[in-house]
Amino acid sequence: MRIIICVKEVLDPDAVDNYVLHGKLEIGDDGKTLTQTSIPRLMNAYDEQAIEAALRLRDNGLDCTIDVVCIGADPTAILRQAAAMGADEVSTVPVADGSLDGHAVAKILAAYVGAKGGADLVLCGRQASDDDQGVVPALLGELLDMPVVTIARSVELDGGSVRVTRVTPNGDEIVEATCPAIVTISNELGTPRYPTTMRTMKARKINPNQVTIDSLSLADSDVVPLVRMSKQYVSSVQGNCTFIDGDSPDAQAATLLSKLRDERII
Amino acid sequence: MSNSLVFCSFDAGRDGLPAGAEEVLTLARKLATARGVDLDWLVIGAQPSGVEAAAAKHGVAHIDHIDDPKLAELEPDVVVAAVQQYCGQQSPALLLISQTFDSRLVAPRIAARVGAGVVMNAIDVASGDGEVKVTATAYGGDTRVEYDVAGPVVIGVVSDPLLPEAAASPSAPEARSIAVDLAGVDERIRTVQKASSDGPRLEEAQIVVAGGRGLQDAENYQLVEDLAAALGGMAGASRPIVDDGWTDSSHQVGLTGKITRPVLYVAAGISGASQHMVGCAAAKTLVAINTDGDAAIFKYAQYGIVGDCLEVLPALTKAVKGG
Ligand SMILES: Cc1cc2nc3c(=O)[nH]c(=O)nc-3n(C[C@H](O)[C@H](O)[C@H](O)COP(=O)(O)OP(=O)(O)OC[C@H]3O[C@@H](n4cnc5c(N)ncnc54)[C@H](O)[C@@H]3O)c2cc1C
Repeated sequence: MRIIICVKEVLDPDAVDNYVLHGKLEIGDDGKTLTQTSIPRLMNAYDEQAIEAALRLRDNGLDCTIDVVCIGADPTAILRQAAAMGADEVSTVPVADGSLDGHAVAKILAAYVGAKGGADLVLCGRQASDDDQGVVPALLGELLDMPVVTIARSVELDGGSVRVTRVTPNGDEIVEATCPAIVTISNELGTPRYPTTMRTMKARKINPNQVTIDSLSLADSDVVPLVRMSKQYVSSVQGNCTFIDGDSPDAQAATLLSKLRDERII
Repeated sequence: MSNSLVFCSFDAGRDGLPAGAEEVLTLARKLATARGVDLDWLVIGAQPSGVEAAAAKHGVAHIDHIDDPKLAELEPDVVVAAVQQYCGQQSPALLLISQTFDSRLVAPRIAARVGAGVVMNAIDVASGDGEVKVTATAYGGDTRVEYDVAGPVVIGVVSDPLLPEAAASPSAPEARSIAVDLAGVDERIRTVQKASSDGPRLEEAQIVVAGGRGLQDAENYQLVEDLAAALGGMAGASRPIVDDGWTDSSHQVGLTGKITRPVLYVAAGISGASQHMVGCAAAKTLVAINTDGDAAIFKYAQYGIVGDCLEVLPALTKAVKGG
């Protein structure tokens, strides 16, 4: 069976957070692009977990081809990482950074899945840590007419069905859907494996398959975004903290409580 | 084609109103007034009791109600099909949905069905040149992004930073029953085991005491629970300690956890990463306890204690109990 995993390259969210904290995040002349080349480009962490989910299925004896695809400017490094982790095939559909919205990405992915003769299971990260939108899996599900199960902690295959433990606000829930299906993976799945040095060395020689938009028989109008980013700026935070001093934790606790009581907060 | 702006809800909430209804209606009202169009409210499934009063308060023109036995459980496939058929009949220009765990999947699916653009995590919406300008958060709230959308659009609104405000003039909403045909729609996802927790919800807690990696050890999470109990509040957590199993995921606060808006939020040993702060920035008062005086959390806090949470938490618990 074929498992296709959709991955995205993102700017390291911790590095972005750190620059913001120190008031040093730079936005380019276009008023929207984060330009600092010192921010590492990584595979979106949830997508790494999606690859891990597929590898665990294989570890448990599933006979499958694990096919990882990334739409992006030049995701060679993260696709080599995917190969080192254990992906059998890695492909990229090159597009300029930031030129597409979720709809266009989903259309390309749907065409890719079609060109591969379909997939039994499509895995995606629950959302990307750059735009936090998380809409692509749902859009893809509509285009491929596959059920979409979101926010998985674990994924099992049972005959022609996928059984998913989902992390919901009210605790875990177990659901099933008939394959082909799309499942989005959350961090609760656990830490993705770290490829061995040998595998990493070997993966360095791998060049991802280059799949062009033309070869997927998509019309230009298919990849025109409906949603266009016009501006990006750093959110402001007040920074108005009153620090509570005191000789001991007990003294600090007493001072804090009296302030909270004066303000009728407690 | 109508230009109406529609607030769409498909949950029952606890206090007789769908989650975030008043906040999203406030935003929708502002936009409908700016565009000079009707604001309608599409209620899917059994109509919660507070809908009529809230609709009048926010100047809603029509309460459009879709009910059908198949909508009893509000499962995604039937909800999507119902809204799709509604859009076919009414052609709204804009669909606003309060962002919840369920709507995060349903909203983009509706958008795909009706060929609309979709934006999640929206905190503001304005009219542009024949377009809609949506402001949404990105990088866990570190940045804000403005998106331009031409044509119809489905928007998932994060209601927590918004404040409900009544319309300048209330309305007398007209109730319309909308007929849809769900006969051919069968839910593709089968529930094997439902989520069980039915207790008090962190999202609704007035006081939250949350702990992070600064607690250093799983057993110290008890200190957070003790202070929460002493204050009559609930215990929360940052993601890493949930990942490590110090507490279960129903306690996780943040972008991918729960969005709280308590009167008091105490953050102990939490650094203040944007993805955590999304879940508590709406707190009226935020108290931070951290050994690092430069920690980001102090930028958000009203009160800060630079100190060891393993000492400060028990001191606070003792003082609360003694006082
Ligand atoms: C897409 C995405 C989604 C995410 N979603 C969430 C989410 O929903 N919720 C969430 O919380 N995180 C989320 N994260 C993770 C987030 O970025 C941070 O990594 C996380 O919030 C950090 O948790 P922390 O503050 O407990 O740990 P750390 O960042 O390690 O901070 C620990 C803090 O404790 C302090 N400390 C150490 N010892 C003591 C002591 N004895 N007493 C007092 N203070 C002490 C340290 O100074 C430090 O500030 C997400 C990340 C991404 C990329």
